[in-house]
Amino acid sequence: MTEEGENNRYDLHSRRRQFLGIDKDQALKGLFGGNAIVSIVVLALITFFLFKEGAAFFGQYRENIDLYRRSGIEYVDIMKEQSESYSELNRYLNSIRSEHATMLREEGLSFADARAKLSGYEDFIYAIEDLGYPVSEYVLEMSEVAVGARDMYEDAANYREHRENLLELGRDEEAAEVEVLDVDLSLFVDMIKEGEADFLALNDALEAGLRERIADLPTIGVESLDAKMQRFGELALMFIVEMERTEQLLSDWTSEKRVGMFTALASFVFGEDWVTNSSIQDWYGIMPLFTGSLLVASIAMVFAVPLGVGAAIYVNQFANQKEQTLIKPYIEFISAIPSVVIGFFGIAVFGQFVREVSGWAILSGFDFFPISERLTAFTAGCLLALMAIPTIFTLAEDAINNVPKSFKEASLAMGATRLQTTLRIIVPTSLSGIISAILLGFGRVIGETMVVLLCAGNRIEIPDFTNGIGTFFEPVHTMTGIIAQELGEVVNGSIHYRALFMVGMVLFVISLFINYMAQKIVLKYQVSRG
Amino acid sequence: MSQKSNLKKLKRNPSAGFHAKPTRAKSTERAISWMFRLGTYFILLCASVIFLTIIYKGSQTVFQASFPFVNIEFLTEAPQTLHVFEYEGEQMELSDSNFRVFEEERGVEIDSTTYAYSGGGIWPCIVGTVLLVIGAMTIALTLGVLSAIFLSEYSKPGKTLNAIRLSILNLAGVPSVVFGIFGLGFFVLAGPIFSFSPFEGYDIRFWPLPIYFGFVGWNVSLIAGCFTLAFMVLPIVISASEESLRAIPQGLREASLALGASKWTAIRTNVLPYAMPGILTSSIIGVARVAGETAPIMFTAAYAMRDQLPWQGLEKWSDFFFQGVMALPYHIYVVSAKIPQNEYTERMQYGTAFVFLVIVAGIALSSILLRIRMRKKYRW
Repeated sequence: MTEEGENNRYDLHSRRRQFLGIDKDQALKGLFGGNAIVSIVVLALITFFLFKEGAAFFGQYRENIDLYRRSGIEYVDIMKEQSESYSELNRYLNSIRSEHATMLREEGLSFADARAKLSGYEDFIYAIEDLGYPVSEYVLEMSEVAVGARDMYEDAANYREHRENLLELGRDEEAAEVEVLDVDLSLFVDMIKEGEADFLALNDALEAGLRERIADLPTIGVESLDAKMQRFGELALMFIVEMERTEQLLSDWTSEKRVGMFTALASFVFGEDWVTNSSIQDWYGIMPLFTGSLLVASIAMVFAVPLGVGAAIYVNQFANQKEQTLIKPYIEFISAIPSVVIGFFGIAVFGQFVREVSGWAILSGFDFFPISERLTAFTAGCLLALMAIPTIFTLAEDAINNVPKSFKEASLAMGATRLQTTLRIIVPTSLSGIISAILLGFGRVIGETMVVLLCAGNRIEIPDFTNGIGTFFEPVHTMTGIIAQELGEVVNGSIHYRALFMVGMVLFVISLFINYMAQKIVLKYQVSRG
Repeated sequence: MSQKSNLKKLKRNPSAGFHAKPTRAKSTERAISWMFRLGTYFILLCASVIFLTIIYKGSQTVFQASFPFVNIEFLTEAPQTLHVFEYEGEQMELSDSNFRVFEEERGVEIDSTTYAYSGGGIWPCIVGTVLLVIGAMTIALTLGVLSAIFLSEYSKPGKTLNAIRLSILNLAGVPSVVFGIFGLGFFVLAGPIFSFSPFEGYDIRFWPLPIYFGFVGWNVSLIAGCFTLAFMVLPIVISASEESLRAIPQGLREASLALGASKWTAIRTNVLPYAMPGILTSSIIGVARVAGETAPIMFTAAYAMRDQLPWQGLEKWSDFFFQGVMALPYHIYVVSAKIPQNEYTERMQYGTAFVFLVIVAGIALSSILLRIRMRKKYRW
């Protein structure tokens, strides 16, 4: 070593201590590099893991839907749909009666008098109700058969698996004790199918009865209600058409056709039901959750965009020095409020406040006010807006701040006012930054969990968009909310568990897309500062 | 208008004499600027309402009028059932343990109305949150800062590096609940376990060593929560640290290298000291984020109720890491959404929210103040 050192007197590196041929610099580089690799591998692993668990969902879901078909539950569900729309028909009829009852009460009639008036057509209502019973009872019976068959089949499969596990472990005696039934689903399906003639007969009776009844609709004597009664007649005719369609569907139905991967995919992406832990059939359609998330996020953005961008413009362009030093840190500070605290505030204070405000006389012009629910998409949306504002504000303010000063000076020198300069020069120049700020704010809102879990009302249903603005005041459920709510209770590896992973994956993809777009927009439309 | 007052006005605003008549452009400008101002102050108002509500109602739980002015029980006890009863004509409220002592002392059995989670305090939740934050930040800072140093100082710029940078930046925006399901699937259900004794479901034995290994999962535990939270903030820590490293002018590095310093010496003496405040700020933001998140720990670390503190009743040292803990954010969720609501639980809710807000907001405030100071100090 010394000899070498003397030989290379001018070699600066010679005095470095080495260990296993690596000097300190290289070792440190290795340490940093190793850490970087670990981080990147872990982050890649997260992505990979999500996709792996999620991808297994479709296979399982396809099998599940396949079993649904093979056991004939699908067949029964077609019939059930018909009998449900019949109940709806009945509900419509009953709504006419209850409306009439309210009307009479408002007129100040005594209970007995009101009853007498209603009884004129009550028989008609009961008769219509009675018409439906044979069909619905038949459907119920068939449903029990099909579900029973399915459950037996699943039990048998479980026992078979159990026995195989025991055999694998070499516990033959125990395995021999496990009885496994061979369940032939086609037998049950045949049984259900054989009943089709009975069902058709029942349907014919229903149709004949219904036609007979609507041939002479009772008159109530109130114009608006009579119109509704006429409408009922039309609805009943539509129902008869639907009956024919149901019969057609039933005769076309076969348990032989296998369910493809595409059906499973479509049932997830476009499925309108998210039903879990049902005794009949679970459905994992993301649509109600997706629309719920979207609705809440849009409400949040309606408030957050004008306020956030407006505040950014104000602070950067109009505010004096004192205001700037106060407002900027304060808004940044808002982003530090934990989401669960905001959610708690929504439950404890804000939800009640919204409901009370909706009861004010000044707002009675809107027919969706007052609202009955405390926790709605609107409640969650408002609170989420407050969470998105700091994100939008900070990034938009940055973007505005990055506009070269000469732009502003040039504009002012031309004699433009401060407002004109701001709106026509500053904002258009920094528009790409502002848009990406809005996008990132949207990403933050759609991924927020605790606020929507606590305040959105958690009703799994596609919001009824026909209500106009009233849609905003419906309780909804969201993608993030469903994960937080249901993940704690699922069995590892079950379809439900995988379905939640799929929902997580959808969220993951959405947020990646939003982030990517935000960056793209900034880079593409950046103003050159040359 | 008298001449005197006109003169006064002129003094205050010298141009007043020329532009005294407001033009249309001027008045629109004023109107619109007021609109912006009102919007901005509206945001501040909304936030203040939240702060003040929680501070006002929460401080009623945490503070009290008589000595020692702070509700010691609330800060040092575990959550308990609250007993409300009438004794000798007096309305009394006692938490479960005190209630039993009370009964024993008097030697009577008292009928009481009970309210779950409404008595006692939140000490185990504070402890749990602190442990989670310490664990997660240790992992995230070690991995994050060292990776950032590598990415900004050692790696060769190019397409790969840009791609890595972009994907890390993108991951920073992924919702926390997604990290939560990852943590559940990966750490809770399939976390790797090493052990000196065989356990159920192990995959490999490192023959001839008595070490067993298997992906059997960590269950709902402190360590699973720490790792989940750590990976949640890792992208944020990496990108923020890297940004503050890259903000150091290249000249500082070059000057040091030109004097014959090795790469590491240059980084240690001329880059890290100046980047440190930036890294510190970003890590404090990370702490605030870790402490404030609920979704990732809901299924990985948090118990709704646990009688023992983390260091009590351990059979072996590793049990410390493999136990579930209570945490403040999850506790708020439990008391505000999972139990029946009444005036007694309300006190608990506001008290917990207040303590939690003070902790998180304190951390965030320090990072904001630090950044403001730093911006003044370093300007390249």
